[in-house]
Amino acid sequence: MTFSPVLSPRPNPPGTKMATNATAAKAKALAILNNSRAVPSPSVASTPGDGGLDLAEQMNDEVRRRFVSGTRLGEGTYAIVYSGHYRHDPSKLVAIKKIKLNADFKDGIAMDAIREIKFLSELSHPNIIQLHAVFSTKDQNISLVLEHLPLGDLEMLWKNHSISYGGADIKSWANMLCQAVWFCHENYVLHRDIKGNNLLISADGTVKLADFGLARSFADPGRDMTCNVITRFYRPPELLLGCRHYGGCVDVWSTGCVIAELAIREFFLPSETDIQQLSVICDVFGIPTEETWPGVSKLRHYEASFGAAAPKHPHGINYWKQRFPLLGEDGIDLLRGMLRMDPMKRLSATQVLQHPYWTNAPRPTKKENLPKQGGGEKTMGEDLKRRGGEIETGRLDKVARKLDFGAMKK
Amino acid sequence: MSKSARAPGASSKRLAEDGGASPLSHSLHSLSLQHSSPSKPARSPAVADPSSDICPVCKSSRYLNPNMRFLVNPECYHKMCESCVDRIFSHGPAPCPIAGCKRTLRKAKFRRQTFEDLKVEREVDIRRRVARAMNKQESDFETLKDYNDYLETVEEITWNLILKIDVENTERRLRLWEETQKAERDPNAPRRLAEPDPSLPSDTSHVVLKKGATQRKALAASSGNTPDPFGTSDDADKDAGFVFHGLKKYVPPEPEKPFNPFGGWGIEPKYYVFQKDYDVDWLTRQKNDPGHLVGGYDMQDFYSRCLREAFGGLGIFIEDEIIARENQASGDAGVGTRSAATAAAGGKDVDMSDVF
Repeated sequence: MTFSPVLSPRPNPPGTKMATNATAAKAKALAILNNSRAVPSPSVASTPGDGGLDLAEQMNDEVRRRFVSGTRLGEGTYAIVYSGHYRHDPSKLVAIKKIKLNADFKDGIAMDAIREIKFLSELSHPNIIQLHAVFSTKDQNISLVLEHLPLGDLEMLWKNHSISYGGADIKSWANMLCQAVWFCHENYVLHRDIKGNNLLISADGTVKLADFGLARSFADPGRDMTCNVITRFYRPPELLLGCRHYGGCVDVWSTGCVIAELAIREFFLPSETDIQQLSVICDVFGIPTEETWPGVSKLRHYEASFGAAAPKHPHGINYWKQRFPLLGEDGIDLLRGMLRMDPMKRLSATQVLQHPYWTNAPRPTKKENLPKQGGGEKTMGEDLKRRGGEIETGRLDKVARKLDFGAMKK
Repeated sequence: MSKSARAPGASSKRLAEDGGASPLSHSLHSLSLQHSSPSKPARSPAVADPSSDICPVCKSSRYLNPNMRFLVNPECYHKMCESCVDRIFSHGPAPCPIAGCKRTLRKAKFRRQTFEDLKVEREVDIRRRVARAMNKQESDFETLKDYNDYLETVEEITWNLILKIDVENTERRLRLWEETQKAERDPNAPRRLAEPDPSLPSDTSHVVLKKGATQRKALAASSGNTPDPFGTSDDADKDAGFVFHGLKKYVPPEPEKPFNPFGGWGIEPKYYVFQKDYDVDWLTRQKNDPGHLVGGYDMQDFYSRCLREAFGGLGIFIEDEIIARENQASGDAGVGTRSAATAAAGGKDVDMSDVF
């Protein structure tokens, strides 16, 4: 664990003010370390003198007492989200995400929560949601104290047709998103669930990447990873074809889809099933062959998907120019670079940020001038409660929601 | 400022004390519309005058022509009907047809009057023009007193123009002021010779119908690249029209820095040199495994992560950090965006350094 951005080879934030400033999440971890050291004698640690609480419980209580949780903003099968604030200063708002006890993980914490805590406490970047603290409550539920992001998400933004925006605004949002992805990858974290409604907007208009419930660190060579991640519309072809070894390029595909979505104000590659998703992708990008994507025919689902299919060819540049007029020539070039079928040819997150699109005119809109909407706390609750990989528009979702008695009551 | 310019200010003060009938409005009456035609005496604005429905030029009345519209020209504010304007001024500038008024009018400047009282109309026009030139704000001045002095001067100029006192000089200074202001804001803009605004009433306005060759030459000489004798050497020896005490010097905004797509963040290894490839036995199998290559699994990511994790803790001194953290425990925490966010949300910055 590294705490010093000054000397650490971890990415250094701009300016020097961060240098002396241990960030919250890290400070939390540090504080545990620090506190256990600062506790003067082993007597406190060993003898539960005050009410039979051991040190860990005392520390947990202390964290819990720092926050006041307020109204319930949303409830899903996975978590309940409350608004809240610091006890000593009610103007410091937070969102408290209380993970529900899960039937699958009777003797522990849900995987999603573990991942979220693990990676959010490591990552500190203006475009990644901030984890202020973690505590557990009496009923053994774990609660994450997250940054308060009241202005809705990117998907709501493009769906809301009363808001109009242009190329510079898209560039600004896309850049914040790409910075977040780059920062994750630079710290060897795969997000694996990048989509419009995981990109929340803070009060000042900054886009923040949230929901690290499906995140993992880059795998060691030879270790299999699951290919059943990432919400379907944003899932890259190598995952649909059952590839077990992948890298940051999966997030780059999802990022490209989000940018495309912003530019056309509808889902770029919508589909009903995983198989249909693959054909939707191939309608645009053609069916991959050994020439266009070396080794693709060895992938698990390749034969089943394309064994007998007639060859399809990718759309030419004119298709892109017609469909994405808001991005401009260089924007289309970047988008096509991010959405290449062969992951080895796809741009990496660093290459994405090095693309001339960002520095060419028009200059990205300053975040204080970006079009905003009042998504309000309600959507923040809706977004944070979701489990990774869920799509809400499915017919079955509705059925499941009916069985959710907690939601029925409200 | 001329002494007489003070008079309206003084009289208005008296007016406020009296709280009643206005010597000011009387003086206005006599002054502002001194060219009104003798056939049409100054009307009281409150009374609906049947004569207002008769065009003073062609004498046609609303009875004969229900769609009649009256227009005025800000040059002399004489009313006439639309058809007269069309008839007289369609072929270019012509003198005002009202007897006693010698001004040359242009059709383009004719407009419908906004206020029933033409004196008000004229005063609003003048105030608009003065406000366009004298557009300083309180923040542009060192002290409130300086700002108030400035406002007083502005009011003086306005009344000078309204009451036609020292108009020529005031106009000249106003134009000079406008020019210097413009030059200060945009030093690269081509210098134009201050041209009299034809929309403004000035006693001596002598309208040149067509620019003569000599005039054009003079214009070109002063606006061209040739350095004019006293213009570019700037403020010190140049008459800026007005001098205001305590006016801050205009500081042009800093040019924007080029956009940094990485948001200013960067990383470079300090304690090691990163190679493209590392030749180790236990990795050769994965390195050549098509299953790894096809999915975009990048061995370099693995190498750099191993190195980063191996060297990550070097040069980290936790004691120093704890001291630094405690020193700024109550200080401003956090990234700029977050403080901006909470500020925008109406809250204060979240201090996250004190989890315990």
